[in-house]
Amino acid sequence: MNYILKKEDFPKFLELLKKKFGKVIVPAKNETGATCFQSYSGQELFLESRTDFSAKEFFRPAKEKMFSFKKKSSSFEVKSEHDNTKKVLFGIRPCGTHALSTLDELFIKFLGEDNFYSDKRKNTIIIALQCNEACENGFCTSMGTSQASGHDLLFIERGHDFFVRAETKQGTDLLDPTLFKHTSDAEPSSKIECKNELDIEGLGENLYANFNHSVWKEESERCLSCTSCTQSCPTCYCYTSNDEFVFGSGTESERFRVLDSCQLQRFTKVSGNHVFRPSREGRLRQFVLHKFSYYKKYHGMHLCVGCGRCITACPVKISLVDIANKIQKHPLEFQKHSLEAKK
Amino acid sequence: MITPEKPLLAEIISISQDTSDTKTFEVGFVDKKLQKKFSFMPGQFMMISVFGFGEFPISISSSPYKTNSIKFTIVNVGNVTNAMHKLKKGEQIGLRGPFGTGFPLQKFRKKNILFVSGGCGLAPLRSAIYAVQEKKSEFGKISVLFGCKTPENVLFNEDMNQWQKENFNVLSTVDYPNKNWKGNTGVVTGLFKQVNFSPENTIVMICGPSVMIHFSLIELRKKGFRNEQMFASLERLMQCGVGYCSHCNIGNKYSCIDGPVFNAKDLEKLPVKEN
Ligand SMILES: Cc1cc2nc3c(=O)[nH]c(=O)nc-3n(C[C@H](O)[C@H](O)[C@H](O)COP(=O)(O)OP(=O)(O)OC[C@H]3O[C@@H](n4cnc5c(N)ncnc54)[C@H](O)[C@@H]3O)c2cc1C
Ligand code: SF4
Ligand code: SF4
Repeated sequence: MNYILKKEDFPKFLELLKKKFGKVIVPAKNETGATCFQSYSGQELFLESRTDFSAKEFFRPAKEKMFSFKKKSSSFEVKSEHDNTKKVLFGIRPCGTHALSTLDELFIKFLGEDNFYSDKRKNTIIIALQCNEACENGFCTSMGTSQASGHDLLFIERGHDFFVRAETKQGTDLLDPTLFKHTSDAEPSSKIECKNELDIEGLGENLYANFNHSVWKEESERCLSCTSCTQSCPTCYCYTSNDEFVFGSGTESERFRVLDSCQLQRFTKVSGNHVFRPSREGRLRQFVLHKFSYYKKYHGMHLCVGCGRCITACPVKISLVDIANKIQKHPLEFQKHSLEAKK
Repeated sequence: MITPEKPLLAEIISISQDTSDTKTFEVGFVDKKLQKKFSFMPGQFMMISVFGFGEFPISISSSPYKTNSIKFTIVNVGNVTNAMHKLKKGEQIGLRGPFGTGFPLQKFRKKNILFVSGGCGLAPLRSAIYAVQEKKSEFGKISVLFGCKTPENVLFNEDMNQWQKENFNVLSTVDYPNKNWKGNTGVVTGLFKQVNFSPENTIVMICGPSVMIHFSLIELRKKGFRNEQMFASLERLMQCGVGYCSHCNIGNKYSCIDGPVFNAKDLEKLPVKEN
């Protein structure tokens, strides 16, 4: 079913949601001028394009409490964290909805539910916002992620109003009849054309076969290991877990998982200070191959939705699209032997 | 709802000091029903939580046929293992697992077995050696090679004596001998010439530092061993044990779920030594 919401009624809609759920997450500028998702409290929204930072923070936070441990005489009480706060996320772009489906594959379907992730996922109603124009470095059309999926409502901006497509019951339930009117208008076409194009034909296998391609070294030479790429990425999920004592208590502690980055040496450092991936070349390759080869192999999909954030965020403009295309165009001649050749 | 990551409580039943920096902890789940159901394959590992300090992967070093308790042989090398070493009998830890692939022993029936270990790499192999010992009649000749830095680092003396009594060919070597050392000196690959085995019909299981694995495979290939006959257990940084954290990626494999035990055929294709 399709509806129309007048733009002048949009703030009223957000207020209604806020009243009903307490927490509404919207795209806006932060104090540094970067765009990200934050709790709605009447601030001006950023609706021009996708945000600099993704909505990952609300599903895979940078620091997430997993367990608390409490010592009781000689025994411990182990408690698992649960996040049951209901919320509505407004303004996630089609690529962002695909990023969530991609993470669902690992954290819900692979081994059964990882409750830290699935709690947040289940308790969040998703209102996606269609892109009317291609963003700076995006290549969603190559990745097949330019149309939203797995959302509850889709908003499409159309001059003075939003065209709204309801996808689920919980989405439809949000549509207050005083604000949303049925429409029989045809859905506005939302065909976008990305400037960036990635050839994904046989991509995962070909990149892996070109493990020793010279492009890894050439491109990584200017890398600063700043981790902006992995931080900005909506699907980078790799983490490290840490225990911390509750301050001032010798008997209570908590376990957190914190997002880590494959771009750092510490990511593969074991005791004795041995680092398994010491060079930037190896670490950049790990990032790109995890995206296009490894995740595909295990979970049947790319760990990249073509949002282009990593390219925009990189201070030295390293682009995984350029790297991948170079290899696609000029693979190593004796690719089959490339891995063995190195040893 | 399942949480693959929730540690379950276990209690330390006994502790033995193996060397100056290595202890073996015998533990059992607090929930007796869990312990009763517990089973594992030699080569598999578990994640131990020392509450407040963290979690680390550790191989099971006890016999798969004696699962009333579980043994872990732990070297004190860092923060969490140090906290572990301070724990006493009766104290509690958290356990997750067992995880990973083990040595597929059922496929090795009727074969000669060569165990090659370096340092605390003998810990995961001990579990496999116990298993072979238990079903001795089903296997051919058994050799256990062990190398470590100094005579003080030699692990599991009692076990080695017992294995010798069982007619296993037990050979050890150290890098730096002292006056009382009667065994061999030099790297573990140097022991290969003392083993009277033919490459046919022999299975090799290797565990130890990565250089040791690397050179063992090279030497054994020279002796005519095929990749299919050789298995090695690899070490990588691990935080989850279940394919969630990606620290242990080696090329297109995860050592926590595809390993830590790999066949040498797979190892040859993997970028084990990345730059
Ligand atoms: C499959 C597997 C089996 C193992 N079996 C044994 C065993 O039987 N006996 C034994 O003594 N050691 C074993 N290890 C190594 C053991 O896990 C590390 O020595 C231990 O994690 C060091 O932790 P730490 O906190 O004391 O050291 P720190 O250097 O302080 O490490 C901090 C954190 O880094 C991680 N870490 C550090 N080194 C390693 C490492 N080598 N492997 C994985 N994670 C690491 C841990 O999660 C730890 O919490 C095994 C490792 C793996 C991967
Ligand atoms: S790898 Fe880059 S383009 Fe792909 S999803 Fe992550 S940030 Fe977006
Ligand atoms: S953002 Fe660019 S410079 Fe920074 S770690 Fe990533 S690739 Fe390297």
